[in-house]
Amino acid sequence: MRRQTNILLTVGLILTMVVLSTGILAQNQMEEFKKEQDTLKESVGTLRDKVSGVEERIATAEGDLAKLTKIKLSGYIQSQFLHYEASNAYPSNVFMLRRVRIKFQYEPLNGVVFVLQPDFVPGNFTLKDAYVQLNDRWLKTFSLWAGKFNRPNYEVEYSSSSREVPERSRVIRAIYPDERATGAKLEIAPPGIPFKVQLALFNGNDGLTINDAAGNNINPLNNDFDNHKDVMGRVTYTFKLGQIGALGIGAHGYYGKIKSNALDVLNSDYTYNKTTDNIGQLIRKNWVGFEAQLYFDFLGGLALKGEYIFGVNGTPGYTAKTSVVSPMTSAIRNDTLTLTTLTTNTTTSRPAIERNFCGYYIYLIKNIGKHHQVAARYDYYDPNTKLASDQIGVAKWDAGIKNATTDKFTYAGTDPVVATDAQTKTVVNNNLKSGTGDIKYQTITLAYSYFFDDNIKIMVGYEIPMNKKVGVNDLGVGNVTAAYAVNGVPGVYDYSNAIKQNTLTVRLQVKF
Amino acid sequence: MKKLKTKSGMAAMLMIALLSFAFMPAPKKITVKGSDTMVILAQKWAEVYMKSHQETVIQVTGGGSGTGISALINGATDICNSSRPMKQSEMDKLKDRYASLGIEIPCAKDGVTIFLNEANPVKELTIKQLSNIFSGKTRNWKEVGGPDQDIKLYGRENSSGTYVFFKDNVVKADYAASCQTLPGTAAVVNAVSKDKYGIGYGGAAYAAGVKHCAVKKDDKSPAFVANAETIKKGQYPITRFLYMYLCNRPTGELKAYIDWILSAEGQKLVTEIGYFPVK
Repeated sequence: MRRQTNILLTVGLILTMVVLSTGILAQNQMEEFKKEQDTLKESVGTLRDKVSGVEERIATAEGDLAKLTKIKLSGYIQSQFLHYEASNAYPSNVFMLRRVRIKFQYEPLNGVVFVLQPDFVPGNFTLKDAYVQLNDRWLKTFSLWAGKFNRPNYEVEYSSSSREVPERSRVIRAIYPDERATGAKLEIAPPGIPFKVQLALFNGNDGLTINDAAGNNINPLNNDFDNHKDVMGRVTYTFKLGQIGALGIGAHGYYGKIKSNALDVLNSDYTYNKTTDNIGQLIRKNWVGFEAQLYFDFLGGLALKGEYIFGVNGTPGYTAKTSVVSPMTSAIRNDTLTLTTLTTNTTTSRPAIERNFCGYYIYLIKNIGKHHQVAARYDYYDPNTKLASDQIGVAKWDAGIKNATTDKFTYAGTDPVVATDAQTKTVVNNNLKSGTGDIKYQTITLAYSYFFDDNIKIMVGYEIPMNKKVGVNDLGVGNVTAAYAVNGVPGVYDYSNAIKQNTLTVRLQVKF
Repeated sequence: MKKLKTKSGMAAMLMIALLSFAFMPAPKKITVKGSDTMVILAQKWAEVYMKSHQETVIQVTGGGSGTGISALINGATDICNSSRPMKQSEMDKLKDRYASLGIEIPCAKDGVTIFLNEANPVKELTIKQLSNIFSGKTRNWKEVGGPDQDIKLYGRENSSGTYVFFKDNVVKADYAASCQTLPGTAAVVNAVSKDKYGIGYGGAAYAAGVKHCAVKKDDKSPAFVANAETIKKGQYPITRFLYMYLCNRPTGELKAYIDWILSAEGQKLVTEIGYFPVK
C-alpha cells in the first residue's frame, strides 16, 4: 500500500513536473513565436515600404517615359557614288554624302507639334525644317504651320528618301531651289475625305542665288529683302478606283514678286520692257501647275505620275555705282594756277528679266514583289519659251555705253587766283546676253531600287540629260572657245552641240 | 565489289531522298499581324482554316493595329488586322513604298464595349459622360449617379486601334494622365473585374467577368448595350468595322484564305467569337 502510494506520488510528481515544464516550454515557444511574428511584421512593413518606394519610383519613371514618348526621332543617310560622263567633268567620279538628316518631332500637347530637321552633310550644316504646327483639335481639319518647311508641291513634298529616282525633275529644282521656304501655311484636310487644300505665304527669296555686280550672292541667308510676300496654294483630291487603285489629281499656283535690283527690266525675248529709276521695282514670279498620280494594282503596285507647270519666273539683276576721282594736276595758265580733277562715275547694271517658262515630268514606277522597284522618268524644262534655241547666244539686251563729260570751272577766290577745272565723266555699262539660263533640256532617268528591308535601300540610277543646241558658240553662252583647260579637260561646255552629261548614281540609303 | 555496290546504292538513295526533299512543295506561309482586339478571331480563323488546308501555315500575332500597319508597310506581314481604318499618313507611306494604296477588307463588326465592375451600381452612361470620364474632367462616380468614390480608368496602349478609335470617336480629347494603359482588352477586362470602381473599354468578345455598361448617344436617346441586334440595327452608338489590310490584291493561297474568311464559314466564326459578321 505504501509502495503504491509512493509510486503514485512519484508519477504525480513527474506529471506535475512534465506539465510545469511543458507550460514553461509553451510559454517560451509563445514568446519566441511572438518575437518571430514581430520580426515578420517588421520585415513585412519594411517590404511594404520598399514596394511603395519602388511604386513611387515607377510612377515617376512612367511620367518621365510618357514625356519621352512625346519626342519622335527619325532620319536617314544617303551615301552615294557618282560617275559623271560629261567631257569637262573633273573629277569624273566621287563618293559623297547626299543627305545626313535627323528629324526631331516633339508633341508636348495634343495638336501642337514642333519639328526640327538639320542636315549634317560635312562642311554644309544646314537647318532644313524648323516649324511649329498647330492642329485643330475639334474638327481635326485645319492645321497652321509657321517657320521653314516644304513648299506645297507634289515633287517637293515627296521626300528624297522615298523618291524612286536619284534627283527631282529639273523644272522643280529650278523654280523651288532648296525645296523649303520661310513663312506660314494653312492646311485644310477634312478627316475621312481625300481632299486637301494648302495655302501658304512665303518671303519668296528662299534658296535663290542673286548676284551683285561683283558676282557675290546677296541672298546667302535667305533674309527677305523686299516687302512683297509670295502666295502659294495647292489643292488635291484622290479618287478611289475600287480595289484596282486610285487616281490623285491636283493643282498648285504661285503668285509672287521679287525686287528687281536693277534699273531695267527685260521681257523673256530680251526686248526692253520698261525703265525705272527705282531699283526696288518688283518683277513677277507667277506660275500654275497641274498634277496627277495614277496607282494601279497590276501584279503589284504600278504608278504613273506627272505634273505640268508653266508661267513667268523673274530673275533679279543688279546695279552698282562707283565714283573715282583721278589725281589732281596743276598748271599755270594766264597767271592763274589751275587745278584739274577727273571724276568718273560708273554705273554697272545687269537688267532683271522675266522669263516665260514651262516644264513637266512623267514617272512610270513598277514594284516587283516586296523588294524590287524599277522606275523611269522623262522630264522637260524650257526656261525660256519665248526664245528659240537658235536665238540663244544671239538675243541680247545692250543699252550701249553712254559717255558724258561735263566741264565745270570754278574760282576758289585766292591770291594768286586758283581755279579748279573739274571734269566729270559718266559711264553706264548695261547689258545682258541670253545663255545657259535659257537652254531647254529633256532628261530621261532610269532607276532600280532594292529594298533590303524597310530601313535599307540600294538604288542604281542613270540620268541622261539632252540639251537643245544653242544658236551661237560664243562667250557667255557656255563654250569651249574660252580655250582654258584644267587637268586636261575643257572648263566649259560647248552648247552649240548636244553634249553628254550623263550621270550614274549608286546610292545606299539607311532610314530609321 | 559488293561493298562498293552497297555504298553506291546508299549514296543513290540519299541523293534521291535529298532531291525529293528539295522538290517537296514548301508549306504556304501566311503571316497575320496587328489588332489585339482581333487576335482571338484571327487565331480562330487560322486554326480552323489550317485543319482543312494542311499545306498552309498561318502565323498570327497581335501588337496593336498601329504595329500591324507598320509591319505591312515594312513588308513584315502579309495581312494586317486593324480595328480602325488606315490613316491618310499611313496610306501615303504605303503608296510611297509599294506604289499602291493597299487593299482594305472589312471582315467583321464590333461594338466597343464599356466595362464596369459587377458591383458598380452605374448602369448607363452617355457619350458625353464617357468623354468627360476618360479625359479626366469627371473624376468621381457620384457625378454620374454612382457612389462617392474616385473613378479608376483602364485603357489600351497608343499602338492599339481601339485606343485610337475610342479617342477619336468618344473621348475627342487627350486621355486623362491617370488612365492606366494595359496590353490588350483581356487585361482591361481583368483589371476592371478586380477593381470595384474601375471602368475600361474594349472589344465585345473579351467581356467575360465584367458588366456591360449601356451607352446613350445623348441625354435624350435610349441606352443600348452592345449585342448582335443593337449593332446590326446601328442602335449601339460605338460600333466599328474590323479590317484586314493588304499591300496589293491577293493572289494564290492568300486570296483563298481571305475568300474563306468572308465566306459563310468564316463569318460564322466571327459570331462564335463574339463579334458580328459583315454580311
